[in-house]
Amino acid sequence: MKDKYAIVGVGYTPQGKLPGRSSLSFHLEAGVNAIQDAGIDPKEVDGIICYRHFPPASGEKDVTPYLVAQHLGLKPTYLAQDAN
Amino acid sequence: MHAVGVLEAGFCRAVLITYGHSARSSDSLLKMLTSMNADEAVFGHFGAAAGYALAARRAMHEFGTGPETWKHIAISQRKWANLNPQAVTFCEPMTEEDYFNSPWVVEPFRRADNCLITDGGRAIIVTTVERARNLRHPVVSIMGMGMHNPSAEVTMATHLTGPTGAKVAGEQALRMAGITIEEIDACEIYDCFTYTVEITLQDYGFFRRGEGRDWFSEGTIAPGGRLPVNTSGGLLSEAYQMGLTPLSEAVMQLRRCCGMRQLGPETGMKKYPEIILCSDNGGILQTHACYVLRRM
Repeated sequence: MKDKYAIVGVGYTPQGKLPGRSSLSFHLEAGVNAIQDAGIDPKEVDGIICYRHFPPASGEKDVTPYLVAQHLGLKPTYLAQDAN
Repeated sequence: MHAVGVLEAGFCRAVLITYGHSARSSDSLLKMLTSMNADEAVFGHFGAAAGYALAARRAMHEFGTGPETWKHIAISQRKWANLNPQAVTFCEPMTEEDYFNSPWVVEPFRRADNCLITDGGRAIIVTTVERARNLRHPVVSIMGMGMHNPSAEVTMATHLTGPTGAKVAGEQALRMAGITIEEIDACEIYDCFTYTVEITLQDYGFFRRGEGRDWFSEGTIAPGGRLPVNTSGGLLSEAYQMGLTPLSEAVMQLRRCCGMRQLGPETGMKKYPEIILCSDNGGILQTHACYVLRRM
């Protein structure tokens, strides 16, 4: 599989101390920015993996890849939690 | 690695990997710590800092590492962060005195040995090299990868002082890439603690067991050094975006869009980097993934 796959998009968000922002909002902003950075049609994104994560904060929902897909308006064929 | 798996299986054409955490401003991490109720917790042993501190303490005993080694890692990475406007510690230099004055979190770790706790997110997209050729950026391919998980409860682990999963995962990744370790231009290492950087590079074979103290001195991994490591500042000094801090930085360095911290003539290197090795690990050195990326 050498040189068969590539990392084509990188998405950043503001980082540091940002009170009032939910974990989900960071997933979404980074995701949108990665898609824009790659310059691909969002419809082309047919897999979503949410990185291994921490317990949700009080008042926040647990971030699942399904939630990320819904908010980004994507309909992926593959969803998974926990990458490495 | 999971993303490549589903692409290779033909389930997907492009996979988005996202991370985000309101770690600094919310009670998420506090909830995690207070919910830890394993047997050791009643003795005061819980959390990642305590687990890695246990490993680091054992390593001090077995091969003579310690703060005199780790100070080089913390200070070198801070120098990188001071070149990265996106880094949380961009405006905060760290001297040797600062390092030793940093308060204990869990001995032998000072706060300067611990990664940052930050709000923020990061994402990457993985697709085929074939597709990447028609996109806007220079192609950064996955040359090789490996994973090894010597999983065990940390208190019973036999791998605290190496070999961790880095040894086998690193060998797998280099074998797939068809290169030797000498061909690596820079490393982006998952650095939850300073000791993690030492044991990971040691297990990959950059230096022999216990030789880290000499190896890290003289700015080996700092700007202008012979093997730049964690060039964004890493988890210690840029921001905690889990394994995506190292991976995204490797991609940006290979694209040559890192501004002041760009590896190459900008930071005293003869040439731009072509091959960068990245790591990620989970648990208390229980899982490990290694990636070799290159600019095609």
